[in-house]
Amino acid sequence: MERETAIQFKDVSKIYKLKRKDKEVSKDQKTQYFYALKDISFEVKKGQVLGILGTNGSGKSTMALVLSGIASPDEGEIVVNGEQALVAINTGLNKELTGLENIELKGALLGLPKKKIKEITDGVIEFAEIGDFLYQPVKKYSSGMKSRLGFSINLCLDPDILIIDEALSVGDKGFAKKCLARMNELKEDGKTIIFISHSLPQVREFCDTAMWLEGGKMKEYGAIEEVCDHYAEYIEHYHTLTKAEKKAEREEKFKERIIKNRKVSWIDRLFG
Amino acid sequence: MFTSAKYVLNENYQNFHRIVSISKYELLAEMRESKLGVFWNFANPAIQVLTYWFVFGYVFNRKDVHDIPYLVWMLGGMVVWFFISPCITDGCNSVYRKVNVITKMKFPVSILPMTVVLEKMFDQFCLFIIMIVIFATQGYYPDLHWLGLIYYLFCAIVFSVSLSLTTSVLNMLARDTRKLILACMRLLLYLTPILWNIERVGQGKVSKIIMCNPIYYLVQGYRDCFFYHRGFAAYGWSMAWFWGITLALFFFGSYMMYKFKTRFIDMI
Repeated sequence: MERETAIQFKDVSKIYKLKRKDKEVSKDQKTQYFYALKDISFEVKKGQVLGILGTNGSGKSTMALVLSGIASPDEGEIVVNGEQALVAINTGLNKELTGLENIELKGALLGLPKKKIKEITDGVIEFAEIGDFLYQPVKKYSSGMKSRLGFSINLCLDPDILIIDEALSVGDKGFAKKCLARMNELKEDGKTIIFISHSLPQVREFCDTAMWLEGGKMKEYGAIEEVCDHYAEYIEHYHTLTKAEKKAEREEKFKERIIKNRKVSWIDRLFG
Repeated sequence: MFTSAKYVLNENYQNFHRIVSISKYELLAEMRESKLGVFWNFANPAIQVLTYWFVFGYVFNRKDVHDIPYLVWMLGGMVVWFFISPCITDGCNSVYRKVNVITKMKFPVSILPMTVVLEKMFDQFCLFIIMIVIFATQGYYPDLHWLGLIYYLFCAIVFSVSLSLTTSVLNMLARDTRKLILACMRLLLYLTPILWNIERVGQGKVSKIIMCNPIYYLVQGYRDCFFYHRGFAAYGWSMAWFWGITLALFFFGSYMMYKFKTRFIDMI
């Protein structure tokens, strides 16, 4: 059965500007342009559960922003069918307000109608396990509690495409398990889920396909087992390197991502 | 041009519930921060009015204007200033202060100026209550002419939203915008005929330039509703000028919002 396309990337690049504020470098070296993502093309089908793997600084978070439509790419094209939502855990919680008020506030921030917020409130309270703290201001919450509250509200969203960026690192194991269970429910509902993590076991357990980002480029994209195995191998290889070798490799990658002689119109320069 | 205006209007209309909730909880959070809460919403403007009255009404001993006691006359114009001034300064900051929200979730950025204005509406109503009390002690009571205030309040809202659309985007491009606006607002308080009557500068060029200030139209309108009762038509030229500027700002602001809507994240 051929499934519909949910997201399609065509040669997508995202460029960041690096500015040095210190005076030691010459003028043309001051502003550098840097590929956060470079020439990425892939396709996600409806109902697919994709895991995105990568080491620190490989462009995973940028990927999440571009996927969710918060940031637009500088080059290339993205086609999206359906509505995306990025799971943002601590965003939008106000520490002066109580848990209950925060559910309403965050619900509204996420664009839920009044009726829907009322419907989900009980579910969120139960899922977040905040109990008696419901009527306490969030500033009194422990950090785990805060994250649980934020995450629970997010999981009650009903988008077509769900993008989760490092979200399961919150809370203890029990809560992570609960979240995985809830996400599995969403998976069975046929939602497209993109799961960004550097935790291999979670990705292996949850996803059916995987993508490996390295240095802003897509290194591999395919079936879960294959990509995960290769990624694990790479991580092991990386750990056997000496400190100097690691540093050399990092610098090598960084250099590749710098764009030389990028022409920028004065208007972009002004607004940059 | 029109697509962007339509886009902004549509976004504001569709997200009305979002706007109301954000303003409501923003206000609530602000009140929770202090022990006395809503008391400050009344005390702050009251103290400010008292200061201006003390300096200009008592120390400089300003005479009655058109047989209206100075305190009452000043307050009639000051009311709208106390609304529009925080709207403009905070509206400029509206996008920037929500930066952690707009970079972390899909969010209709163009509703942010409206949330600020709605928040300030609450303060405006608090001030109205104070004003009615002061007016009553001086023998001025609410009457039918006061209904015109609804129109002028509407004008003030549209004007501050239009201006904030522009300034909030500019503030994302360069944070200097807010500093500039703050400085300008301080100047504008004295350049707008709020604390003094426009007749004092005569009929020459200076008075013409001062009348170009769109805020003057609002001050004049408020005072008309309170004391003069000349009606909307008496200020036809001011009205045309005011709406011309407001619409121009609105179209320009919408255009900026539309152009930069997915670019905000690159600007921090």
